[in-house]
Amino acid sequence: MAIKGSGFQRKSRAASDIPTCSLADIAFLLMIFFMVTTVFQTDRERPIVWPEALAAEKIDEKQKNILNIWMERDGRVFMNDQAFPLEQVSDYVAPLYAASERALVISIRGDREVPYIYMDQLQKELVAAGVVRVVFAAQLEQSMQRERR
Amino acid sequence: MPFINKKKIKVSSEIPTASMADIAFLLMIFFLVTTTFPKDRGLAIVLPEEGVEAQVSQRNILHLIVQPSGIVDVRRGESQQVQQLRPQEVEAIWRQEVTSNPNIIAAVKTHPETPYRYMIDVLDALHSANAERISLQILEP
Repeated sequence: MAIKGSGFQRKSRAASDIPTCSLADIAFLLMIFFMVTTVFQTDRERPIVWPEALAAEKIDEKQKNILNIWMERDGRVFMNDQAFPLEQVSDYVAPLYAASERALVISIRGDREVPYIYMDQLQKELVAAGVVRVVFAAQLEQSMQRERR
Repeated sequence: MPFINKKKIKVSSEIPTASMADIAFLLMIFFLVTTTFPKDRGLAIVLPEEGVEAQVSQRNILHLIVQPSGIVDVRRGESQQVQQLRPQEVEAIWRQEVTSNPNIIAAVKTHPETPYRYMIDVLDALHSANAERISLQILEP
């Protein structure tokens, strides 16, 4: 069996430009990969009933400088998905506050029925940690839903 | 002369798909740009720094005592006269007080058993009245 063309084949012609028709597919693939693997740094919501306020304003701070402190109806405190006893809040918050260069804003997310004594203890803990900027998170009250006006 | 180009125009039977990816990207960029994440809302307050105690004359304090029932007892400075109000009525009281005395401070004293939302209601009323000098305390027994 002789080699066809006695070994001398026609030179295979290579295309001189890079094929671009699959470029978009590659871009999409990359995008989907990054979308799927991105994890947002957020804590899970605790089951609380929000208090309502008419004057609730948007928190004017970057998301990474906001620490949510959840307080459930029975006075349990959660920060970053972890339960904390009330007395240890300042120990946890103080290093975070120092790391954020005093830019940290605490968003207190309390259940509307939690007795105020727990809130007072929480505020005292925050004062002990040196935090000054605090927001009492509340939902914007719809004046239509208001039964008293 | 219009009769020269009488060749039949060939209509392709397929939808052109070459620009589909571009359209998809365009849509995606549009939605990326127009998306806004909902920001949290709340009533901002500045807590005092530890160990700093300001001496305030009794004349400049408006005591707002929040009872567990949600009733607010309003007491002005030294006078023993107590006015009982609903949280929503605090706004009008504050506006009235601040015009007569610009240095006044609202001292919100909440009973330990009071549900948090009544304190928020009072704080909301004060915020609605643009009050800035607010002190949050717990009612000492």
